[in-house]
Amino acid sequence: MTELLATDGLELAYGQTPACRDITFHVDDGEIVTLIGANGAGKSTTLRAIAGALLPRAGTIRFRGQDITRLPSYERTRLGIALVPEGRRVFPFLTARENLELGAFKYRNDKAKVRALIDKVFAMFPRLSERASQNAGTLSGGEQQMLALGRAMMSEPYLLCLDEPSLGLAPMIVQDIFRTIRSINTAGTSVLLVEQNARYALATASRGYVLQTGSIIASGPCATLKEDERVRHAYLGRSAVEGVSERVSR
Amino acid sequence: MLTVLLQQGINGIVVGSLYVLVALGLTLIYGVLVQINFAHADIVTLGAFAAYFFTHAFGGSYLASIGIALVVGGALGWLINAAIFAPLRDRGSELLPLIATIGVSIMLQNAMLAWFGPIPYAFDTPYSEHVIRIGSTFFTVQSVLIIIVSTTTIGLLYAFMKFTFLGKALRAVSQDRETAGLMGINPNYLIMLTFVIASALAGMGGALLGPVLVMTPFAGTSVIVKAFAIVIIGGFGNVEGTIIAGLLVGLIESYTTQFLDPGLIDIVVFALLLLMLAVRPTGLIAEKREENV
Repeated sequence: MTELLATDGLELAYGQTPACRDITFHVDDGEIVTLIGANGAGKSTTLRAIAGALLPRAGTIRFRGQDITRLPSYERTRLGIALVPEGRRVFPFLTARENLELGAFKYRNDKAKVRALIDKVFAMFPRLSERASQNAGTLSGGEQQMLALGRAMMSEPYLLCLDEPSLGLAPMIVQDIFRTIRSINTAGTSVLLVEQNARYALATASRGYVLQTGSIIASGPCATLKEDERVRHAYLGRSAVEGVSERVSR
Repeated sequence: MLTVLLQQGINGIVVGSLYVLVALGLTLIYGVLVQINFAHADIVTLGAFAAYFFTHAFGGSYLASIGIALVVGGALGWLINAAIFAPLRDRGSELLPLIATIGVSIMLQNAMLAWFGPIPYAFDTPYSEHVIRIGSTFFTVQSVLIIIVSTTTIGLLYAFMKFTFLGKALRAVSQDRETAGLMGINPNYLIMLTFVIASALAGMGGALLGPVLVMTPFAGTSVIVKAFAIVIIGGFGNVEGTIIAGLLVGLIESYTTQFLDPGLIDIVVFALLLLMLAVRPTGLIAEKREENV
């Protein structure tokens, strides 16, 4: 398989505060790869660096054979990287349709193409076509996640990066979202999935990397990772926390 | 009595629509950068002077001078952003650009003082003398012109923001700059565009205000104080709110002049400002926005 994305020895920091070190991983064409780990392990930070929202202190990022380490985020979108950010980050005062249109900003001079892409997203998420002229801020959490996912697909990315797509959503909707992620992948888009819900992540991806306090501590096929003692430990810790937060939110 | 109300209503809308032109630029820049641009006032002044010299020194037509002021304003906006604000923003500081806008403002005022002197210029337009009478209300052709030009401009701006890709991108940048970058939108380009549009509006506002202002290098300051009040009353960064607040302030001015005393204008306007800050600090039509969150 050909390599799509590869990082080598990434070192990431927020200002003076180091967040990640020696992050080396790769995503091949057609794969779903997941980064799992506890809250604060550096998963989102790594994903932000891939999308260009955070420039690394050291190390390199290659995408389709090109060094993109210093490229600003808006250039990376043009090359074919799309990020669904944590917390969805839809534009609240733009309508759902306008949000989708902006996802296709690189095709802004081709109206017919943008319309065709919107129809494709509506076919994927019929709910969104009902909500098309509503402000995105008025949509439910699940609808916003669909919108954020659809918006990312509007740029026809080679690599779709997802940051915690299950966060704050009801289990039924989470299942829907993960089913969609798999079908997006089947249609030819590679996926880099960051998830706290390791159970879902390992069931969806083919390979995974486990992050702990800013470093990769394990990697391999998901089937192997599921048996890994450290991962199982993270599982249990996670489930316990999840149970508590669910009770609190009720 | 009705005639007076109507007459002052028309006057208020004329003044108000000029305020809107100036305040919209402030609001646009605030929306995208969350930054107050103190140099905005001086672009109004420079727009007025550009129109003045074009008509009085070169004998150009007043209508064309409005376009000249628009271009001069836009060019200045581009220049100031590219030369001063953009490099400061790149250094990641929030405070530096704000202080720089004060510096640029003082610099421009004193440059104009050196070139144009402190004595007020008399900006005559052929349209100020023509008076149209309908029933028992009077208005000058100049005021009709002001209403036509500003309504058209505001309409075009609104259509730009609502219907074009760039306009939508601009709104996206003002709602979430980082995520806009993820969409492939270059935020720096849109910030530049915002400065150009805002300053072009200010320059044009200057050309329309010139004939009614005391035209000195500090003329813009008197307008900008009201524009700030309008931006706050309308809700920072809120375009619709700014339009409503601008017309409202214009009407308050002209009715205050009629029924109270012209000297009380600023007291009434700023009393409203303080009231708004106390009662609805998010601005006139904030409620609608809050529902959307």
